Amino acid sequence: MEDWRDLAQVLLNGVMAGSVLMLPAIGFNCIFAVLRYPNFAVAGFATIGAFAGWVANAQWGMPAGLALLVAFLAAGAAGLLSEELALKPLRPAGPLTVAIASVALTILLENIIRFSFGNDLKGYDLPILRDWRFDGIRVSPQQLTNTAYAIGAAGALFALLAFTRLGRAMRAVADNPTLADIKGVDPDRIARVAVFIGAGLAGFGGMLIGLDTSIDPLTGFRVVLSVFAAAVVGGLGSIPGAALGAMVVGVGEEMAGVLLEPAYRTVTAFLAILLVLMFRPSGLLGARN
Amino acid sequence: MTKLNTTRRTALLGTAGALATFAIGGRAMAQNDPIRFGVLPPLTGAGGPYGPAMLRAIQQVVEEANAAGGVRGRPIRLFFEDDQTNPDAGVRGARKLIDVDRVQALMGTWASSVTTAVAPLCWENRVPLFTVSGADSITLLPHQGFIFRTQPNSRLQIATAGDWLAGKGARRIYHMAAQSPFAQSSQEVLTERMRAGGGVVSGFTIYEREKTAFRSEVDAIMRSRSDTVFLNGYLPDVTILLRELFRAGFDGRRFTMAYAANANTFQALPNEVTNGLITFQPSPDLNSGAFARLKNRFGATEVDPYSAQTNDHATMAILAAAQAGDASGTAIRDNVRRVTQGGGETVDNVTDGLRAITAGRAVNFDGASGPVSFDERGDIQGTKFRFEAAENGSFKLLELA
Repeated sequence: MEDWRDLAQVLLNGVMAGSVLMLPAIGFNCIFAVLRYPNFAVAGFATIGAFAGWVANAQWGMPAGLALLVAFLAAGAAGLLSEELALKPLRPAGPLTVAIASVALTILLENIIRFSFGNDLKGYDLPILRDWRFDGIRVSPQQLTNTAYAIGAAGALFALLAFTRLGRAMRAVADNPTLADIKGVDPDRIARVAVFIGAGLAGFGGMLIGLDTSIDPLTGFRVVLSVFAAAVVGGLGSIPGAALGAMVVGVGEEMAGVLLEPAYRTVTAFLAILLVLMFRPSGLLGARN
Repeated sequence: MTKLNTTRRTALLGTAGALATFAIGGRAMAQNDPIRFGVLPPLTGAGGPYGPAMLRAIQQVVEEANAAGGVRGRPIRLFFEDDQTNPDAGVRGARKLIDVDRVQALMGTWASSVTTAVAPLCWENRVPLFTVSGADSITLLPHQGFIFRTQPNSRLQIATAGDWLAGKGARRIYHMAAQSPFAQSSQEVLTERMRAGGGVVSGFTIYEREKTAFRSEVDAIMRSRSDTVFLNGYLPDVTILLRELFRAGFDGRRFTMAYAANANTFQALPNEVTNGLITFQPSPDLNSGAFARLKNRFGATEVDPYSAQTNDHATMAILAAAQAGDASGTAIRDNVRRVTQGGGETVDNVTDGLRAITAGRAVNFDGASGPVSFDERGDIQGTKFRFEAAENGSFKLLELA
């Protein structure tokens, strides 16, 4: 590292990378909090969101902001549908079974996308802007916009959880499903809402990845390891934890690129999981059991 | 309850008898049994844009050969598995093709990592492997002649690229290589050629290609003050790198392999980003009869170099089996050179080749990818290279060298 600017640049790159991971990680934890199983199909939901947003933006001519809403709704619907049809019947067999089924589900979803859209790379209908430079530090307007979208979506979720009746009900079910049931909260309805929101956020995040790069049927799959790492590091089931975990993993991966050979960068995600599980098994912001 | 009066000896005899009947039956059947070929293309993963066309080229050759009466009356049956551009899936696919489908030859592996993983299964089971992978290490494996590679090896490719770039005035090249079996050897060859041409490799990064952003890597390129960046990766990652280089304001020469930037790139990136990008690739023999036939059969689909090569894989395997009068893997291995580089009648398609061989004439197959002739390690010889530049959404030929 030559001077402070390089460090600042790496940190900035990390925050931007982390903000893109944040939404799928929050989606993952949102589903985990209520249903108590890791849904790896967030990779598939992210890809579906990316493609739904692409159809809305590149085919129907919608602006990116509106297309993100389409991505959220399409991925949420896909998540709800696959939960009801594929995963819910397996819930009595235990969380491990559902988790394994969700891995199979993500492969299925990926291939549905492949059959519908083909293998080719697709790009959104957006101008590619040159980076801004501030005293030698490079900032990409697109990535900055994406970070803003991500923070906006995460903020909306926090507001929902903190200030609405539905949000309180979701937190109640996450905290103690039996007690919530006794109090008249329908856990099935809350589970459906959590899956819709979780999958929708994954789709929103999937499209953000696409806005910054290009999309293909593997878009979600490429990030699933980092997303899982972010969720575990932050604390499974914790929504602020997922946001913090995504930043830790994003910055960690970028720092690793400087300190280690770039080829070892993916190792950072595993290292992060390993370290957290060793010293703080419930994650940075996870509830202690 | 009646006690069954079966001793171990009678049971063994019975089993042996049944097996013998089966074996004799099997032998009697062999004359009209289909010849089994396996295809292991990347239908998904980074090679996904190429695999389906590679498979289609092979299927068309097999259909043509079957229409021409097959190999000495035996039809050819094709089995295929998706290697997913992934060595694990490739090995699983190869195991299934070799153990379950009992294929006599395997063709169409694309990624070097997959070919490297699958190759030992092939030579141990005496199944010839026809591949389009470029890593040098592949034909250096102890393959006992079972590997035939129609793609020039990466050493030859990188040396050609390095010489060409140095000739065009490149003095500081940044080498950005995706993690692959040939990243390191490419770097050695490029360094050697740049030094010979009066330049240097100003920086070298091996990157993990399953990533969505390469900002820090691009920062390193910008810091190196290079006049050229050599993007030695694959389509998805090179597309992201091109975008990020544009954003960062890199104004030097951008150079990549043609498999990492093709018509797809123009769908994913606007022209202002792609204009000026130079690609290079081993060129199919565009003037050959075999290429014209393939192009005709593909119709509107563009023929890429890999489908030209797999067209030749299938044709070579069929003609070698016909030449041998035996479809075992070893017989195919031993006859490939006899049908591709002997002094016989020149043929450019499977129908003519089968007809000539049936009539007892020697053949010399010239394929869509070139004159197909192999050295003693199984490497292709005498391929041409094509340099192209992107201009407003299509590639224009710069030079054929």
